Amino acid sequence: MKRPKRAAVALLHAALLAWTLLACLPIVWTAVISLRQYVDAFSVPIRWLAPLTLENYTRLWFEQGFHRNFTNTVIVTVGTVTISLTVGCLAGYALSRYRGSLGFWLLIGALVFRSLPHSTLLPSFYVMFDALGIRNEYLTLIVVLVAINQPFTIWMLRAFFVNIPQELDEAAMVDGCTRFQAFRRVIIPVMWPGVVTTGLFSFLLAYNDFLLSSSLVNADKMTMPAAIANAIAAESEAFLMQGVAGAVSITVPLVILVLIFQKQIVSGLTQGAVKG
Amino acid sequence: MKLGSFLRFVAPSAALMLLLMALPLAVTFFLSVRNCALKMETVTVVQSSPFGQREVTTQRAVLGPDGRPVTECRFVGLGYFRTVLGLGGIEAGAGSPPPEASGAGSAGGSATARPQRSTEFIGALRFTMLYTLATTPFILLIGFALALAVHHVGRRWQGPYISAALLPFIITPVVGALAIKWLFRDNGLVPHVLSQFGISVFWMAQAWSAQLLIIVYGIWHVVPFAFIVLYAGLQSVPQDSLEAARIDGASAWQRLVYVTVPHLAPLFVFITMIHVMDAYRVFEPVVVLTQGAFTTSVQVLTYYTLLDEQNPYKASAAAVLTTAGIAVLLLPLLVKTWKEHRRGD
Repeated sequence: MKRPKRAAVALLHAALLAWTLLACLPIVWTAVISLRQYVDAFSVPIRWLAPLTLENYTRLWFEQGFHRNFTNTVIVTVGTVTISLTVGCLAGYALSRYRGSLGFWLLIGALVFRSLPHSTLLPSFYVMFDALGIRNEYLTLIVVLVAINQPFTIWMLRAFFVNIPQELDEAAMVDGCTRFQAFRRVIIPVMWPGVVTTGLFSFLLAYNDFLLSSSLVNADKMTMPAAIANAIAAESEAFLMQGVAGAVSITVPLVILVLIFQKQIVSGLTQGAVKG
Repeated sequence: MKLGSFLRFVAPSAALMLLLMALPLAVTFFLSVRNCALKMETVTVVQSSPFGQREVTTQRAVLGPDGRPVTECRFVGLGYFRTVLGLGGIEAGAGSPPPEASGAGSAGGSATARPQRSTEFIGALRFTMLYTLATTPFILLIGFALALAVHHVGRRWQGPYISAALLPFIITPVVGALAIKWLFRDNGLVPHVLSQFGISVFWMAQAWSAQLLIIVYGIWHVVPFAFIVLYAGLQSVPQDSLEAARIDGASAWQRLVYVTVPHLAPLFVFITMIHVMDAYRVFEPVVVLTQGAFTTSVQVLTYYTLLDEQNPYKASAAAVLTTAGIAVLLLPLLVKTWKEHRRGD
């Protein structure tokens, strides 16, 4: 194929830059105003340059105790990702190796559950967990997130396991491994890319969740997104600016994540699509 | 793999899904036809005032032997479904207040606490359809345009553009919606820029503009997904077909329309399907951008009924209707899969 003309490439760059600017504008502007006092952040006319201050951040993290919400997020995401992957790898592996009809129906059932809006489960979570006295526990939130994550996790992990040749586990079993040992010692070590990609998406789901984190636990156990939701209705100026700082605090780890794991995210997104 | 070891491997995962998805769904169906309320009794009390004594009849909660109020549950059939669908049915506060609500004032209390919101399920469905119809074409078009642009821009630049484009997709939805809200807020950046052109809109204060913002958020949030999927698809367009078309004298536009687009057709369908499903569960932008006023989505309806009205029974009715809606969307897909599976056996 002949090379596209330079003018055409310049045009493409212009269009892409325009979109990139547009796509990043809300986040970048939020980051800019998070470093300002309220009067400079929302002023008439708008100020492009204003004195910088870290006050919003120090207030939020040290006075409002946002560090506790950060800890909550760490507990919930680490718990969710670990359990999701452990349980999901077992199921995904079995689904990739078993040829019976039951496996097919389990996958279809998972697909149906995946399309179910989470709010449909919320009223019964409320009533059930209240009756058992286990609402407002980290473990409850984690286990619920794991369960809701499961359909997606097993579909994705299965797709990765299918690509690992069966001969590998058969060889291991001929050498005297049990099925579980073959899975643990031989298959998992070559599965790392798949585990990392699936783990990333599990992490995003737990980290970004708002619906469940804001309703199943009380304020002292809420994750960061649920905690800054208070800023939604904030009338007070100081409170609003802390919300802005909180929004940026939540986004920074995600930006780092994209920069490090761009390839895995792209492969995870395209995997389901390209394979139909 | 034998059935026995298969079952042992999938047991934890299947148990989790049964216990925390299938069972709660069944419980939701059960709750939706019930209502629990404090058991009330009518009593006559003598009121003393400077104007003399008089007898007043009033309602009082019945206390059980342990001194706590007695809750009474009963079957109410489709009463709450009628309420959620806006056909009358059980009114909050009229006769049977939910246990946690403070008597007859609950409906009025929450209405004054926040702006009046539409509680109808039909309204939520109507907005979901508007949202789907308004966002889907833009998502496909912009996503495809970006995919083509990045595909042709040269390998060196692809990484940075993809990273930047991914950001709106993986950002926490609450944060993304808040960022857009702050951009459009009074004295924010966008109203300022628009005011230079003599346009002044209070974006969060009317139904149409708030809905427009939700749609803008939807496009902004989902375009990266369409972009990535279509970009991956572009790598698999057969080069020899393109070359053959070029030798036959097809212009760049004709090659795009007659070779590339048909090759990507399944991906367009895939993206649309995923997006229709996701549109049905749109939640955060509605909560953030309207605070429940003006417009509502099916998930928001359940959420508010549960947390604001504190009525799990009515919320369950809304949840069951939501499930029915997703079933309608899924059924053709499931029937198709089932037929294919049977043919495969």
